[in-house]
Amino acid sequence: MDDWVFRVDELTKSYGDDAPLANDGITLQIRPGEVYGLLGPNGAGKSTLVKQVIGLLEPTKGSITIGPYDLVADPDHARQLCSYLPQAQMPIASFKVREAIEIAGSIRGGGGADVKRRTNELIEALDLGEWRDTLGAKLSGGVKRLVGFAMTSVWPGKLVILDEPTNDVDPLRRRMLWAEIRRLGEAGTAVLLVTHNVLEAEKSVDRLAIINEGRLIAEGTSSSLKATDSGSLRLQVMLAPGTETPALPEFVRFEGRVGHNLVSAITESDASAGIAWAQRLMAEGLAEEYALGATTLEDAYIRLTGHVSEEL
Amino acid sequence: MTAVADSVRVPARQRGAAFWLHGFGSMLRWEMTRLRLLLPITALVQTFTGAGLVLGIGLFFEEMAPRIALYLASGAVVISLVTVGLVMGPQLVAQQRQEGSYDFIVSMPVPRSASLAAWLVLNSVVALPGIVGAVLVAIWRYDAAFHVSIVIVPATLLTLVAGVMMGHAYAHSVPEPLMVGLISQVLIFVIFGFSPISYPVENLPDWLGTLHRYLPFMHMGNVVRDGLTDGLVSDVGFSYGVLSAWTLAATLVAVVVAKRRG
Ligand SMILES: Nc1ncnc2c1ncn2[C@@H]1O[C@H](COP(=O)(O)OP(=O)(O)OP(=O)(O)O)[C@@H](O)[C@H]1O
Ligand SMILES: [Mg+2]
Repeated sequence: MDDWVFRVDELTKSYGDDAPLANDGITLQIRPGEVYGLLGPNGAGKSTLVKQVIGLLEPTKGSITIGPYDLVADPDHARQLCSYLPQAQMPIASFKVREAIEIAGSIRGGGGADVKRRTNELIEALDLGEWRDTLGAKLSGGVKRLVGFAMTSVWPGKLVILDEPTNDVDPLRRRMLWAEIRRLGEAGTAVLLVTHNVLEAEKSVDRLAIINEGRLIAEGTSSSLKATDSGSLRLQVMLAPGTETPALPEFVRFEGRVGHNLVSAITESDASAGIAWAQRLMAEGLAEEYALGATTLEDAYIRLTGHVSEEL
Repeated sequence: MTAVADSVRVPARQRGAAFWLHGFGSMLRWEMTRLRLLLPITALVQTFTGAGLVLGIGLFFEEMAPRIALYLASGAVVISLVTVGLVMGPQLVAQQRQEGSYDFIVSMPVPRSASLAAWLVLNSVVALPGIVGAVLVAIWRYDAAFHVSIVIVPATLLTLVAGVMMGHAYAHSVPEPLMVGLISQVLIFVIFGFSPISYPVENLPDWLGTLHRYLPFMHMGNVVRDGLTDGLVSDVGFSYGVLSAWTLAATLVAVVVAKRRG
């Protein structure tokens, strides 16, 4: 069988001598059929990475290949092999939904009948039928996002790059979108997916990488990333407005604070002590509520990046 | 799912004439659809601009000498031709950058030269009505004694290509949308006010006349006038030379910046 693995090797990107490296020696691989998540806080360097794959940016160092093909040396070929949904909105104001998807498919090299069939399939699967003949200018942000996804995946090629595809999409259609992403993988396309939504990623990607300040700081399946958290519980305390982070007892491991939200971890055997501590904070007026739950990928994410993701 | 599977099977690297033509055709379809609301209006505005330039400037004269009418009419043709490529095109590019859709368009698997060619065709379609409008009004209003010869075809083509390529080159090399807008304003100012397109170069101060020997605008006027009239233009060979050099240089720059990565 052909080796169609997508490889990024020691990829480094600098936007200028004074700026910190936007990508700093990133190495990763995605196999055909694999859905690979790229997570990280704002400004981590995710979009910078994917723009180098599609030839919008030139790497400062390092290589990007699919199978035997060097995408950095031949960006025209990169565009043939990869399709790309940018983080920004798509330019479809004067396109009807069906048209936008069909023309995109035809530009990507699909034949007329195949593209029509795929277009209908996607409109169906993403529940866009209602807007089939609506002009892009009249669509809501979320529907436009879904149309952008359909334009990218109508004739996907070897690698589909999705930069935050679920932005603005409602929960129900988000699920349909994830199902479609999974289906791309089943058809044999590799999917590189940038997202802030750690909880959704945990359910839907095969493997993922966490990027922070330009560096890849963790990679693996979501359970392997959670491994250090096994036997742990997450204790989340909503502090009262204007409260300093209180001193934590020995057994409470600080993970991060965003706004009033204090996230920490405790071992399972300390559960009741943890609850007692949180209740005491509430009694003293330092906290308004708390929650104790199983650890998720989110906890690994917070521990690694020091950021709390948007869905918390 | 069979359809997707076909696409995933992606063949060897595509190149060659058939691939280029497919890219050209689909890019043309893409741009036509993208600008479908704008194109008819623009063509209409172009027609009125062409006709209006001839009529409007004519108001300055109580009696229009045929020679002046010929100058005005051919000047109006040139101005319609170049504003499309040099001003409107770049403004569209700037707008795409501003809304962030630029990345998607340049990520599509179409050879850069094919996108450029599609863009050129689109510009021609928009510019054509202006040419016809200007000439018709000049004939009707001033009995302008046109002697249209076949050289009008290469002359308008060259003028159009020069404008589109220069516009493409600066629109794609200047990343700030505001700056692109500014440059296009300056160009309008220079072309309309201070270029010997609608009037003879002798009307300008010497130093400006000399400068225009090496700029493309006067020569655009010359080659188009040569195609529309008889005996108004001398040394048209030099004009073709300078204009071709500009077109070639602009095309090179346009291709290089289109291929450039950040
Ligand atoms: N064109 C550019 N010129 C200079 N610096 C840039 C440019 N684009 C991005 N950067 C910087 O590079 C870093 C990484 O940006 P990037 O857009 O890749 O982040 P990201 O991970 O996609 O963030 P987000 O989640 O907000 O989309 C940031 O510090 C950003 O300011
Ligand atoms: Mg980004």
